[in-house]
Order: sequence, then structure tokens, then C-alpha cells
Amino acid sequence: MSEKVDVVIVGAGLAGLGAAYHLAEAGLEVLVVERGDYPGSKNVTGGRLYLNPVRPYFPDLLGDERIGEVPFEGRVVKERLTMVAEDASTTVEFQSSRMGEGPMHSATLLRGVFDRWLGDVVSERGAMIVPGYKVDDLVWNEGKVAGILSAGDEVLADVVLAADGALSFIAERAVLRHRLEPKHFAMGIKELIELPPDRVQERFGVQPGQSASHLFFGSLTQGMLGGGFLYTNRESVSLGLVLGMGAMLDKGDVFQAHELMDAFKARPEIQPLIAGGRVVEYSAHAIPESSVNDMPRLVCDGMLLAGDAAGLGLNMGITVRGMDFALASGAIAAKSILEAREDGDFSAQSLARYEVALRDSFVLRDHRTFAAMPSFLENPRLYTLYPEWVSGLLGDVFWIGKSPKESLWRTIWNRVRRLPWISALRDALKVRRL
Amino acid sequence: MKIVVCMKQVVDLAQLRFKSDGRTPVLEGLPMILSAFEKHALEEAVRIKEAQADVHVIALSAGSTKLKETIKEALAIGADEAALVIDPAIKDTDVSGSSRLLAGAIEAIGEVDLVLTGEGSDDEYSGQIPSRVAARLGWPQITTVRELALAGEKRLRAVRDMENSLEVVECDLPAVVSVTSELNTPRLPPLTAILKAGRKPTQEWTLTELGINADEIGGKAIQIEVLSNLAPEQERKNEMLEGTLEEQIDALLRALEHEGVLA
Repeated sequence: MSEKVDVVIVGAGLAGLGAAYHLAEAGLEVLVVERGDYPGSKNVTGGRLYLNPVRPYFPDLLGDERIGEVPFEGRVVKERLTMVAEDASTTVEFQSSRMGEGPMHSATLLRGVFDRWLGDVVSERGAMIVPGYKVDDLVWNEGKVAGILSAGDEVLADVVLAADGALSFIAERAVLRHRLEPKHFAMGIKELIELPPDRVQERFGVQPGQSASHLFFGSLTQGMLGGGFLYTNRESVSLGLVLGMGAMLDKGDVFQAHELMDAFKARPEIQPLIAGGRVVEYSAHAIPESSVNDMPRLVCDGMLLAGDAAGLGLNMGITVRGMDFALASGAIAAKSILEAREDGDFSAQSLARYEVALRDSFVLRDHRTFAAMPSFLENPRLYTLYPEWVSGLLGDVFWIGKSPKESLWRTIWNRVRRLPWISALRDALKVRRL
Repeated sequence: MKIVVCMKQVVDLAQLRFKSDGRTPVLEGLPMILSAFEKHALEEAVRIKEAQADVHVIALSAGSTKLKETIKEALAIGADEAALVIDPAIKDTDVSGSSRLLAGAIEAIGEVDLVLTGEGSDDEYSGQIPSRVAARLGWPQITTVRELALAGEKRLRAVRDMENSLEVVECDLPAVVSVTSELNTPRLPPLTAILKAGRKPTQEWTLTELGINADEIGGKAIQIEVLSNLAPEQERKNEMLEGTLEEQIDALLRALEHEGVLA
């Protein structure tokens, strides 16, 4: 059997739904095929969406008028960053009125809730979302992508949008992506820990409707690229680790991710925050972290890639982004599809306008600006030497022992001269390229 | 031949979670699906349709606006059309009210030969709807059917599941039949059928359009009061096994034997 629609979108995540939203609005017949039981069921986020970059692409949805209807967990008003040493840690906390007032800067969310809501919005606009179906292959016609195959059933389309996530099977089938290398990915593991709302508010010092974000780096990843995160939700906290896959492989067989997670949870910085909580979800997911230089071609004849499938994830060191890129790339892909449709031309040449538009948008601009970040973050000294050094220094400053206290300057100098200066200088020079 | 399949929209129980007390279900935000037992009824109707000419299958349901989305699955599986009663008053009704509006809709559809239902719904499983609908229509009813066949022009033969025995009965049409999950295995509709489902006709009524007053199905008309909706309390033994791995395995095997899990 075979049917024909205007656009088939593979994957009802943020890129797929973001595109479907605009395409359905324009009156196109759109089919979104989702492998999971419902949109968001197979997605994982650490927890937060940055809103300023995506608001212009979804003014009706994320503008001031309707933002209250979006099922966010909370508005992030507090940023914490902890450098973790073996038996000490140093935390910086940042709060500003800018984050608590005016248009929302960033919000925490749960994908099972958020994506399902967005799916409902998109369905109301007329797109057809079919969960529980897996796309097995692409249908080709004279070298062009002409549709998809699912359980022996063909659905033909003018154009296919592959928004099927970090390990995009579709991108591989279309040979848009050649080789997946471990170093281009990280693994995220996350626990959702349920706590009563008043306890969340007390422990993290936030009001109802507000959230805190807390990132960790240092000894918790044992020298591997990565870090920990904690985001507060309405009645839970999202706690997890992100680990570079390349670094994990280098570590070899002895390494067990869940043991690192258990050790992280047992740390004195974390344990009191989650005490009495109940783990209600456990999840793991691949995260694209390749640099823009390793990005695949994003179009071929009859097809485009968006979101994680296009490798649009970015670890900027202190902030980690992906969902905003996914939403925006979906919206940009939709616009390009509509323009290509006006020209009646879905060839790679015509669809290349998508790549141009992405390059001109914040999506690839930010990726280019931070192109040097992935290799910089591979430096194990970031996770071992420096957190230990900072904690050691502060330990000396704060400690009052039996013997007379040395002057503050001498205390600092003793630590400074013990830094391995050559590597530290080299690292400092690299910082300038970020 | 016109077959109406009554299908209830229920929350997806597979995604049900409980509050931290472990007993209070969190019903908010759950997706709505078609109750599983009714899918066997629908499958049977579609099989009858596939086996002979001139069979028209109508999926009938009542509830909230989300229903239009939910019922698409029935259309994808093979119903020819959907008939929906959508009214905010339906939210608070009970089996008496539900059977009233289902019977009203069946009369409005007109010239129906066979009404198929599940033996009960996924959520409440009261099993009263088939009998109540049959009583309101004044039709014969056959419940808990595990085999169904048309016996001539206007006659039905059914095998009823009586737990320890089977009963073979016949009746004239029109009739109401409730089916068990042994009857068949419902199909998973292909993607193309799902696409076509959106283009099939859907008939919609409000209560007023069916000539039913909201008081007839809600308020004082409600005969059943829900006192509590909690998961049963579960006593856990909480036995911790200690010692080396070998000792723990031995202790586990002994405990399982003791509980009669292992022979």
C-alpha cells in the first residue's frame, strides 16, 4: 500500500514538532512518525531550554501572551557552578533580577510533558502525529528521497525531514553522514528524583514557579570530558552526568557509568539535596557534541536534517545547549521547505537554502563561535588539576591550624608556584581561542 | 448490515503513575486511548466486514473533545465511520447515563443490526454497559463471547465463556454482544491506514441533538458514587539477604522455595 502527503517528518522531538508546527500552519499535509509511545517518550534532556534565541521563531507560542500555557517546570532564576575536587569543592552562585523578571530567559522542563504538549499544539494545527511507528527505510525514486517505509508500508512525500535524533538512522541511510565517531558524542545519564514541591523550594531557595540550575565539573568524571547537572522541577529534581564517549572508551573496560552516578549522588554537595527523594525515572541518551567542522551535509535531494540528527548540540563549557537549536532548526527547515515548494523544486540545490539560512542564524553562528570548545574540553586537567588546585588554595585560606597563620599573600603564593606552569600557560593560551 | 462498536476512551493505564504514597493514581496529563477490550469488538466487526459484502462498521464513542483524535485509531483499524457524542456533561456521568446516551446514539444512527462492546472497559471494568444498552434498546444480549458467527440472514451464533464451561447460544438480530479478549487478536493498522483514517467521515452529536437532557445523565440521575480510587495496599516482606554473593544466592533460592515460587 502507498499513500502520499506533502511532508513526512521522522521523529516527534523538538526539531520535528517545531517544523510540523509551521508546515501545518501553512496548510500542508504533514505526517510526523514517532517511534516512541508518545512525543517525548524517548527523549531526554538535562533540563533547560534557553528561550531568547527561539522566541522569534515561535512568537505565538513563546511570546508573552501564551508563555503561561507552556508546561515548563520553572523559570531559572539561580545559576550555580561547582568545581569538584576529590574531597572538597568550590561553588559559585549567580543570581540577577534580569533572570527573574521580564521575558523568560530560560526554563527547566521534562520532555515527556513538554513534547507531549507541543505535540497536542501541532496536532491542533492539523499535522498528523503517529506515535508507535518506526521508519525502517527511505523510499528512493531516481536518486531522490521520495518517502519512507514503515512495516512494509510506503508513505510518499515531496520532501522528508529527518529529525530522528543524535544517532539518526535516516542520515546514515541517505549517506549524509559518513562515520559516527565516539568523540563526536557524549552520553547523558539522568535520574528524575521526586521531592515534595515545598522541599524543592526550601532546599534550593526558589519560589513556586522558579527553578535553580546547578552544574558540576571536576573529579566526578575522573578526568573524563563531562560533568554533572542538577535542575529543579516543580516536584522533582533532574540529576545526571554527561560523559564524553571518546573519553569513556579510552578509560577501558574497568569503567562503569552507573558507579560514577552513584558516587556523584553520594557526594556531600548532592546527598542532602536529594535526601528522602524517590527515583521515579532513569534514562540515558546520546548527545551530539561534535564541532561544527565535523557537521554532516544537511540536505540531499528530497530530504533535510534537523536537530540532533543534524548534530546540532553544543557544549559551551558553562552552558550546554541543544533544544533551542532543535526548535529553531525545525522552524528554519519548515521555512526552507515552504520556499522550495513555491519553486516546485525539492532538489539538494534548492534545499541548500536551508543550510544558508542555518548558517545565518544563531544556530550555526554559535556553533562556529564555539568550534574550538570540544577539543578544549577534552583536556583532563580541567577535571583534575584545576578543581583540585582551586579547592586546595581555598582550603589553605580558610583553614586555621595549630601553627601561626601565614600571610594571605604567602598562602596564595605557595599554591601559585606549585602549579605546573608550562601546561597551565598552554591551557591559558587555548582559552583565548574559545 | 450495520454494526456499531461501542468504544470507550480511557486514560492510558500503561503510563499511570502513583503519588509518593504509592496508592493515589496521578490521572492528570495522561494520554487518552481506546480501551483494549473494545478493540477486540472492533476487530471482530472488521473481520465480518472483510468476510462479506455490504457491512458497514461504525465506531461509537462519547466523551470530551480529545475523542476526535482518539477515535482515529478505530478508523485506521477499519471502521467505516465514527459517531461521537461530545458534551462537557458526559465527564460526570456513570454507567446508567453512559448507557442512556449510547442507546440514544444507536437509535439516532438507525437500522443497526448488531452492537458490539468489550466485556468491560480498561479503567472501570464494571461490565454493565452491554446489558444496560440492550435493556434500553429492548434487544437480546449475549455477554462474554469468545467465538462469534452469523447464522443465516438475521441470526447470530455465539460461544460464551462461562469460566468452567462454554455455552453455545443463538439469537435473532438486532442484538448486543460483549466480547472477551480470547475472541481475536486486534490488528495494528498500517501507517497508510492511519493516514486514510483522517479522511473518513465522523458524525458528531451533542446531548441536546440526541434529545437527551443533561439531568438524565448527570446530577441526580447519577446512581453510583465513587468513594475511593486507590491502588490496593501491598504488604512487602522487605527481607534483606546478607553475606557473600554465594550465600545471598542460596538464601534467595531458599526464600523462593519457601514462598512456593520454585517447586
